[in-house]
Order: sequence, then C-alpha cells, then structure tokens
Amino acid sequence: MISLGSYLAISFALFVCGILVMIARKNIIAMLLGIELILNASALNFAAYTKFVNNNLDGHILSLFIIVIAAAEASVGLGIVIRFFQLRESIHIDDAATLQN
Amino acid sequence: MNSTVVTYLSQSKEFTNTVAWLSKALGFDATSMVAFIIFAIGALIVVGALATIGGLGTYAERKISADLQMRQGPNRVGPYGILQFLADGVKMILKEDIIPAQADKFTFILAPFLCMIGVFATLAVVPFSSGLMLTDINVGVFYLVGMASLVGVGVFLGGYSSNSKWSMLGGMRGASQIISYEIPATITIVSMVLIAGGLSFKTLINGQGGLPHEWYILHNPFAFIGFFVYFIAALAETNRAPFDLPEAESELVSGYHTEYSGMRFGLFALAEYIEVFVVCGVAVALFLGGYKVPFDLGSGHIFTEKLGLDSMLAQNIGQLLELGAFFTKTLALYYVVIWVRWTLPRLRVDQLMTLCWKYLTPIALFNLLGMAVWMYAFDGRSIFSLIFNSAVSAAGHH
Amino acid sequence: MFTNTLFLLSAALTIGGALAVVYSHNLMHACLYLLASLFGVAGLYAVIGADFLAATQLVVYAGGVVILMLFAIMLTGGTGNRINRYGLEKIASMGNKKTYFFAGFAGIITSLIILKIIASVLRAQPANKVLEANETTVNKLGVLLATDHILAFEISSVLLLGALIGAAVISRPRKERHD
Repeated sequence: MISLGSYLAISFALFVCGILVMIARKNIIAMLLGIELILNASALNFAAYTKFVNNNLDGHILSLFIIVIAAAEASVGLGIVIRFFQLRESIHIDDAATLQN
Repeated sequence: MNSTVVTYLSQSKEFTNTVAWLSKALGFDATSMVAFIIFAIGALIVVGALATIGGLGTYAERKISADLQMRQGPNRVGPYGILQFLADGVKMILKEDIIPAQADKFTFILAPFLCMIGVFATLAVVPFSSGLMLTDINVGVFYLVGMASLVGVGVFLGGYSSNSKWSMLGGMRGASQIISYEIPATITIVSMVLIAGGLSFKTLINGQGGLPHEWYILHNPFAFIGFFVYFIAALAETNRAPFDLPEAESELVSGYHTEYSGMRFGLFALAEYIEVFVVCGVAVALFLGGYKVPFDLGSGHIFTEKLGLDSMLAQNIGQLLELGAFFTKTLALYYVVIWVRWTLPRLRVDQLMTLCWKYLTPIALFNLLGMAVWMYAFDGRSIFSLIFNSAVSAAGHH
Repeated sequence: MFTNTLFLLSAALTIGGALAVVYSHNLMHACLYLLASLFGVAGLYAVIGADFLAATQLVVYAGGVVILMLFAIMLTGGTGNRINRYGLEKIASMGNKKTYFFAGFAGIITSLIILKIIASVLRAQPANKVLEANETTVNKLGVLLATDHILAFEISSVLLLGALIGAAVISRPRKERHD
C-alpha cells in the first residue's frame, strides 16, 4: 500500500487541486493558497522518489529547499498583496489589469 | 527504533507473558496490539495527569498570589482549599454556552480546540523520565516547537471569530507576540542542541548529569545567558505576565477570549496553564539536567548491586526517582513563573516588540555564535572540566 | 500495520483538505483547510521516514506561512465579498460556476498530461518489499547540507534575507502627502 505509485497519486491529486484553486478563484490570497498546494505536491514527489528509488537523502534536501523557498515567496507575495490593497482598495485579480490592452 | 514506553516495559516479564497469552488467544502476533494498548493507556494517563496539574496550577496561582499579597486565598473547598479547581470546573461547565450571532461559527468552535491540540500534542515528547517518556523521537525538540506554534493560530482565530473589536485587537496582538517570541526561543534551543549533538530529548539529557555542575546551564557562560533568554521568550510565548497584554484584564476586557463563556473559556485557560508546564519542562530538560538524579541513582544499577533487588524492580525505583527529580525541578520553575506574574508590571505592546526584536533576538544570535566558537575552541568541554583539568595539570607540574 | 494506518489517515487528511480548499466559499475557512492539508503532508513525510522534513514542515508551514496568510487576510479587509471601487462586482472573488468550469477544463488537461508521464509508475505492481526500519536523518542531512550542498544553503540564506527586507520595504506604511 505504501509504494511509489501511491505517493505519486497523492502528489498528483494535490497538484491538480492547486491548479483548480489557482484558476477558479479570483481573490489573490486564495490563489496564493493554491500555490502552496502546488509546491507541497512537488516536495512530496521529491521525497517519495528519493525513498523508493534512490534510497539516499538528496530528495530530502530538495524538499527542504522547496519549503524554504515557499516560505520566502509567500511572505513577499503577501507583502505585494498588502501594498496592492493599500493602493487599490481591493484584492480582486481583475483590478490588477492596468497593463492589459 | 526509538525508545518509548513500550520498549521500557517490554523488558519486564509481565509484558512478555501478556503478549504470549494474547497471541495464543487471538491467533496472530499480538506485540503491536499490546504496544498500541500501552500507548493508549499511557496517553490517557499523561493527559489526565497534566490536566490535573493544569487545574492545580490555577489553585497554586491563587494561593501563591495570596501569599505574595498577604492574604489567604481559597481555603474553603476541601482541606486548604485544594479542591477549588474542581469547583471552578463545575461552575464553568454549568455556564450557558453563548455563541455571538454574528460570529463565524466554525472558527469560533475550532479556536479553543486548536489551542488544546497544540498543547496536548507536545505532551508526547516531554521527558518525564527515561523509561516512562511516551516516546523519544529523533526530532523531539523541533516537533515540540512546531506543535507549540499551533497555539498562535488558535489565539488568532479566537480573536477573529468573535467578531468584536476587543477580541480582534487582542487576537492580533497575541498572535504577533507568539510568532515574534518564537524566534529567540528557537535560536536558544538550537544553541543548546549544539552542545548535545542531537535533537532528541534523550540526547539532550544524557549529556548532562545529576549534580548542578554537570547541568548545561553551568556549561559555559553562553548557556547561562541562553537560559534567561529562553525563559523570557517562553514566558512571552505562553501569553503569561508580564507579557499578557492579549488577555489584559484591565485594558482589553480580556482580549481574545472576551466572547467565550463556560467550558470554551475553560479550554483556553487550561491550555495556557498546561503550556506553561510544558515550557518549564523543556527548560528543565535543556538547561537544568532534566530527569537526571544525582549520583546516577536513576538507572537502578546501584539498587541491583548494593541491595540485590530484581533488575526490573530496581529500574522501576530508578524511574520513580527520575520522575520525582523532573517534577521537582519543573514545579520549582512553575513557582518562579507565578512569582514573576504577581511581581512585575505589564509591558506595553511596543515595549514587548522592542524587547523581542531589539534585545532578545540579537542576544540569542550572539549566543549561538559564541556557543559555536566555544564548542570549536574547547572541544565541547564545560567550564568546570576546563578548570579542574588545568588545576590538575598545574598541580602535576609542581 | 501502524504505518499503513498512519499513511491512510495522512492521505485522507491531505486530499480532503485540498478538496476543501478548492470548494469552500469562505477565505478564512480555506486557510484552515490548507493547514489541515499541510498537516497531512507532514504525516506522509513521517511515514517514509523523513522525520526532520516532517518537523520542518510543521514548524515552517503550520507556525509560519498559515499565520502569515491569516494576518494578510485581516490586513486586506477580511473575508467580506468586497465590491471593487467602481461599485460593481464583475466576477465573485471566490469564483462562480463559470470560473469553476474553466478550472475543471484546465484541470482535466493537466491531469491527462501528468498521467501520461507517470502512467508507467502507477501501473507497475508494488514490489511488496518490507520497508526497512527508518533511521534518523538529522545527522546525515546536517552533514549533507554542510558539505555537498553548501552553495545552495548559502544562496538560500541570502534569498531569505532578501525576502525579509523586500517584504518589509514593500508593505511598510507610507506617509500620506496632502497637497
């Protein structure tokens, strides 16, 4: 039951859920939640491969760095969202379309 | 494998007999089932004991504060008022459970449970004694820090979901206080992990001895400073005075748990008292020698050699001594925490943040650096061993 | 038997949390379901013996990123469905049927692509080998980070410093200039 296939299936489900969240939602913070799901799916993938195929620790190092980068990106992204809110009074993604057309 | 309660108890004859009997009765190998049952019973015992300690903590606080203020404190319910916490519990259960109409019901109900889950999940790794610790995972301290940060989420949700100005302010202040003070606390824990060489509690405690000169607090001056930094940061993390602005009774009408009544408020308060106990336990394990009994009485070898007792019985006596040592030290620190609350005035919110970011964090970072330099320069020996060795070699030269 | 139980529970928590993030209507609730999903992922790490990774996941995500998201939700107006400053709301900010339709379409295409890539692994019979006992990874990870991957380690610390300064500068309060 615990095998590479099951872990890949779980990370695949997480990834698809992340894509669904990112496209269906129009709230910027909700889209950031989707980004976290996608990053977690990839980190889980790395850890599963390194356990079942390679049996060393390289995948764990990669997953650690993914967690670090996700935290940094979440903080900067939320800083941008807060600044955007201070300027535009809304966090709807369609209000960030000034460069369009 | 990690050493857990089960590996300790599996040395006894009763365990092997029970497993053999159950295997015969059920037909399959019953080792894992017996292990599961022992874990369940152990978890229930630990939860029950610590909930009682949390309740007695409220009683102890009222008695000690009364002593500091030259009055009597509760002395009616039971001998010396010791059943006061049961009376408080009954009162809270009988109160009406009010949920504000505009409140977000899901998060309102979830917030106290998040606090409780965060605190009770840390009980799995608190080192009560070497054999009776529920489990000794290899990342023990790290896991404890991670679970304790769930309390911050619970505080924030409690403040937000009540849909009232006081609660929102209290919740945001409380959550920002908790996440700010996690930093000096974690950096200090990391600097102690440098001395011990591992993240598990057993590694941390086995590096210390029973007598005070073998504790990590007297290992080098950086560890000494580290103890005070950790103590202050952990006090602030549990929202305990003088850092209790989120629940300041005189300013915010009780802050983030204003709208909670009855048992929901009781869950918040119980979580706070148990968290203080856990934090004191971690401080004891990191700095004050944990459960180590002086003269190595805790391992039970002396009883087997001198008194000729059965090995398992000697080990059980050793475990009881270790439990006693741990609880004595932790309750002494608990007394200091209560003492500090009723002595010092409350800090303002900006003073709180200044203390954390401008004082404690740089001191903790400097500590970490100093500890690393000490470990490299002196090969990890404590200041006492250096003094004794230099005294011995100086005596040898003459 | 226990690893199997833990694996099933963690997988259920992960996928249940992720589905709840997709379909919930309240932004605050979506954050909490994300917290549950991240707990599930930490459990999945623990099942394959990545104990340090599981603890890091707990500390960084549960104690850091989720609280950060909650604070940002509070500072940007909460969960009320805001009408933008023109007074109109063209598309509901948490998504309506049209956005979910397009999202489902995109999801199907993505899943077909990914399934084509990982089909061989999913089809392979599990080898049913007994998982060897997990040993601690803390020491080995520490050695690896300090020897083989030291460059990535240093660069990530510079990245974190940049993120810290950048986030603080971007969202600091500015003095309003009244002319």
